[in-house]
Amino acid sequence: MENTVKNTVQLREFLKKMIIDTLLLEDITVAEIENNAPLFREGLGLDSIDALELVVAIEKKFNIIIEDEDVGKTAFASISALAKFIQDGFQPVH
Amino acid sequence: MEFKDKRIIVTGGTRGIGKSIALSFAHEGAWVAANYSSDDESAATTEKELARVTPNFRIFKADVSSRSDVEKMIKTIIDEWEHVDILVNNAGIINDKLLMFLNEDDWERVIDVNLKGTYLFSRAIIKTMIGRKFGRIINITSPSALQGRAGQTNYAASKGGIISFTKSLAKEMARLGITVNAVSPGVITTPMTANLNQEIKCDITDRIPMRRLGRPEEVAAAVLFLASPEAAYITGQILAVDGGLT
Repeated sequence: MENTVKNTVQLREFLKKMIIDTLLLEDITVAEIENNAPLFREGLGLDSIDALELVVAIEKKFNIIIEDEDVGKTAFASISALAKFIQDGFQPVH
Repeated sequence: MEFKDKRIIVTGGTRGIGKSIALSFAHEGAWVAANYSSDDESAATTEKELARVTPNFRIFKADVSSRSDVEKMIKTIIDEWEHVDILVNNAGIINDKLLMFLNEDDWERVIDVNLKGTYLFSRAIIKTMIGRKFGRIINITSPSALQGRAGQTNYAASKGGIISFTKSLAKEMARLGITVNAVSPGVITTPMTANLNQEIKCDITDRIPMRRLGRPEEVAAAVLFLASPEAAYITGQILAVDGGLT
């Protein structure tokens, strides 16, 4: 259990850094991005074009495909949601 | 060698204008992938001509209106070449009939090849361009798109759609280092126009202010310009190469 939490924490930190690096967000630090705050509009202030870049970066890093816009919206709701989406993607389907 | 080692796709790149575009890029050092739908003979000829210029080329037999054909072709190219820098959506067909005689198949086939083909190829390569924050998409439209022409409701609609597609995608991609433009060739000397009889040729020539048909290389030159670093700040534009026709 502790291992999972640790991995989730690490994954969230990794995603925050990835967003900052991919979108060249020079004024924002990892510590300033809240896990449950919306990434778009009122949260980090990202828009749909930023989302395209993030989708491509996430797909490449984690070898997953996001084809559907609704799936993308759910996945990119927040850092927590994105981490969960990626972790769920790795779980074997039973 | 302005395009040295750039990876280019030219749809319909084995005949006419597309062939000229493919060869022009190859002469400038680019790696060129081209597809064709059915004319094996022209494809074989183009293959030989490209081989004389570069070892880095691929010819595919693929229907631009088939999602599976397009995705398979793009996957092969990206697996081998890693990315695509420039996409030229050139493949196009005509099937001219007055609307009263234009059946649903005549309509759909032209729209599918010209407009859906442009969408399918653009969509299939867009992620690789976004990932590298660089890309050039150049679509081929026609004076018929904005001027209209009797007997070309299907063709003109498809080419008009390409103009709208170009302008919209340009706005989506502008921030990501990807430009999207179109070239609008007038009447160009190709196998298609070579078959016209002399009287019709004279009639067409009389309507062109420059009093001559265009050459495929002149269209290719415009495409290469829009693909070049010098055109980095140009996007969403339609460049006419038509001797003053429009």
